[in-house]
Amino acid sequence: MTALPLAARRSRRLPKLPKRMILPAVLLALLIVTPFAAPLLTPYDPVQISVRDRLAAPSWEHWLGQDEFGRDRLARVLYGGQVSLTVAFVATSIACVIGTLFGLIGAYFRGPFEFVTTRLADVVLCFPPILLALLVVTLFGPGADTLVAVLSILYFPAFARIAFSEALRVSALDFVEASRALGTPSHRIVLKTILPNIAGPVSVQYSLTAAAAITIESGLSFLGLGVVPPAPSWGQMIRGARAFMNQDPLGILIPCVALTLTIYAINFFCDRLRDTLDPKGNAGGKDVTSVPAPGRAPVQEEADVIASVRDLRLELRHPKGAVDVIEDVSLTLRANQCTALVGESGSGKSLTSLAIMGLLPGAIRQADGALHLRRKQGGMVDLGALGPKALEDVRGNDVAMIFQEPMTSLNPIHKVGAQMVEAILSHRKMPRAEARSRAIALLELVGINEAARRFDGYPHEMSGGMRQRVMIAMALTCEPRLLIADEPTTALDVTIQAEIIELLQKLRQDYADGLSLLFISHNLGIVSEIADRVVVMYSGQVVEEGPAQQVLTDPHHPYTRALMESMPSAHADLHSARGDRLQAISGTPPLPDARPSGCSFRDRCPMALPACAEARPPLFASADGSRAARCIRAPEAQEAA
Amino acid sequence: MLAFLLRRVATALAMLLVVGTIIFSMLAIVPGDPAELLLSTGGGSASEEAIRNLRLEMGLDRPLLQQYLTFLGDSLRFDFGTSIVDGSSIAEAIALRLPRTLEIIAAGAVLALLLSIPAGTLAGLRAGGRFDGITSGLNALLTSIPGFVLGTLFIYVFAQVLGVLPAGGYVAFAEDPAQHLQMLILPAVTVALHLSTIIFRMTRASVLEMRGHDWVRTATAKGLSRGLVVRRHILRNALGPVITVVGLQLGILLGSTVLVEFVYNWPGLSGLLVTAVEQRDYPTVRAIILTVAAIFIGINLVIDILYSLLDPRIALQ
Repeated sequence: MTALPLAARRSRRLPKLPKRMILPAVLLALLIVTPFAAPLLTPYDPVQISVRDRLAAPSWEHWLGQDEFGRDRLARVLYGGQVSLTVAFVATSIACVIGTLFGLIGAYFRGPFEFVTTRLADVVLCFPPILLALLVVTLFGPGADTLVAVLSILYFPAFARIAFSEALRVSALDFVEASRALGTPSHRIVLKTILPNIAGPVSVQYSLTAAAAITIESGLSFLGLGVVPPAPSWGQMIRGARAFMNQDPLGILIPCVALTLTIYAINFFCDRLRDTLDPKGNAGGKDVTSVPAPGRAPVQEEADVIASVRDLRLELRHPKGAVDVIEDVSLTLRANQCTALVGESGSGKSLTSLAIMGLLPGAIRQADGALHLRRKQGGMVDLGALGPKALEDVRGNDVAMIFQEPMTSLNPIHKVGAQMVEAILSHRKMPRAEARSRAIALLELVGINEAARRFDGYPHEMSGGMRQRVMIAMALTCEPRLLIADEPTTALDVTIQAEIIELLQKLRQDYADGLSLLFISHNLGIVSEIADRVVVMYSGQVVEEGPAQQVLTDPHHPYTRALMESMPSAHADLHSARGDRLQAISGTPPLPDARPSGCSFRDRCPMALPACAEARPPLFASADGSRAARCIRAPEAQEAA
Repeated sequence: MLAFLLRRVATALAMLLVVGTIIFSMLAIVPGDPAELLLSTGGGSASEEAIRNLRLEMGLDRPLLQQYLTFLGDSLRFDFGTSIVDGSSIAEAIALRLPRTLEIIAAGAVLALLLSIPAGTLAGLRAGGRFDGITSGLNALLTSIPGFVLGTLFIYVFAQVLGVLPAGGYVAFAEDPAQHLQMLILPAVTVALHLSTIIFRMTRASVLEMRGHDWVRTATAKGLSRGLVVRRHILRNALGPVITVVGLQLGILLGSTVLVEFVYNWPGLSGLLVTAVEQRDYPTVRAIILTVAAIFIGINLVIDILYSLLDPRIALQ
């Protein structure tokens, strides 16, 4: 037992009932217990006929009145519940035990057992449940026993399938593999690790099945083919009261409500159980992108400035209050220039670029600062002052973006060409055929062979590198002035990385109007090849910026230096550095809500001084204004340079 | 694509054979003499002669394999034999009633799609919002009301209390189109509400999943309008799983419509089936169930092909 790892043992302990489960559990327990407490709640016999009191209204003796045979309705609804619930739960339990056993056997022995286990469900699914039930009733005659048998046959394949797939999933988990390697006997693995772990999905299936079984039982009884009279059941009560609904609506209402309430309670319990077991299933969060806020003052910019970010501050909305994820970031992006945004994961470089696209996730709000962009028809516009329609016109037209994951960034169900054409047509009025030839020309431009054939192909027919070329071609469809590339090579293998970088270089040189490229990366090797300017971000702030050549040879901020030192020196694996973790310094960047006072890098800084804890250092600009660094030692270094 | 089609058709035919075999063997595996069993009502046993006659009529005296092959051959030619109760042709009875059942299902399915796809999409796009809260709550309640309960309550409200719609019954369309449609409303709405709870749930979940994918962000970044992004890059992708569920549900619906038809006195397959079950007319029950299973397998074949057109990756798997 001691050999069993912690995860396995923890799952065996009975979990504490989570808060969200209390209400459904209590409701369900109440609805199940009440019918079985019938003898305590009513002195009447549910089958005792009293013709004199046909359809009597509720009275002190008979709280819910009497039915078409003068039988006490409260007694009937309570005892009827006993029958319905017993049939449903006995059948479900049998189906659950047999099905789970089948599933486990299938998962354990595989081969023909696996085939039988998985195909069984397919076959049973071919019969609408109620029809299969009717078929069996024809052969065996109606009655509670027949119902239990039918329902168990009907539902055990579903359990078998769930137990099978869960058992396969669980047995591939590390701790099960580990206990197998430690020589734990197979039956103990099944009993002590697999069974408790598949208990969640199986219990969800259990409640689903119980609800379905009650529905079918009551339906068959309603048809007169289920529980045999005079034994009461809800379906039968509705059947009996139908003829009198005009004089006595209570007669149909009572069993209808009892039935619906019970099914509702089970479903409610089941939903909450599923949410508790699998919290990501109901993940909320709105995808509505938040719109940039208007800037404070109009900016006068030089003619070659394509985009400017001023004092950008982004907040993460959080139930416990907002947290700043980006603080006072300023950027100036110029025509014919490649600016590299550099930093570890979580430094805020992607968020900054998404803000320029007006594509911030819904949970992030622009709290301060301004985003300006030069439109093709001349002037600078404040992105925050644009409405959603105007913003759609800017996106893809004046600024375009290439994402990190070419495998998932294209819609798998549309042809590649169609995805390019829709981008062209949403910004330009032209015949479809013209858009098509334009897209094919672009595919050729980015180096795709047989472009016309690829145009009619699907993304899944292409390699990762080819898809990234398509993404680049798509970004260029409307000749944007600014192209944002968010780690465009990270997901690709080394040789393809080099090709994509080469392609981007070539495009920049050939671009007529002067393309401004914002290149986001944590790979300084690639950055040194492509960038004119480098902006280093750390923990939501710009910590250093300047001409690429200077920053990369003589960094003024200790963080930049650490990034440089983490870079693999040998040219051989220059491109393979997926250096998310810094080798030269320990630790990871602080989370936005846990940044230290003063300089946010000081916890990891090898050169930190007591003064670093006192105040957040400003961005110290060098004398000629070409460089800046956010470190109290920066002025020293700048003078020395 | 052709290989995919052939494979799917072959699977469907194999399923049909399995279903036919199961239906056939159910009678064979019942303990005791099936003829005796079918004629026994409420404990009393039938006369020796009646049992012998039935055995001859159903061919139960022949070897099992011969019975099986005859059954399969007859079924392929839609020759389901005659009812053991009144000797009428089963195939004719099914041909008369099946269209009425399909009419309810078709009307209900169309209504359900019109209702639940837009509602599910909106709820999925604004998950956690007010619209989502109201529709999802309503959906949970509707899910918990069995179809025949809903039908019974509808009759009470619309026929008895308000008196705006007939409580049930059937008039052929050719005879009186207006009344036919009037009588179709309640059954169709009952079926539709029931079906739409499932479609709503599936659409909402599917939209919620699709809207978080990278390609949706790409589409927005390209500058597509919100409407286009939702239509082409969220909804189109979300529909695949929804269609599969609709297919499965239509099959289950073929069964649960029995109850709805019964509630509204709609003379579809249900009346035939319920009477046949009550009278233990096994050949009739068997024929109806075989027909329904065949339709169900057919629907799912069509759905699979539709799905592969919606998502080209499916045909490759």
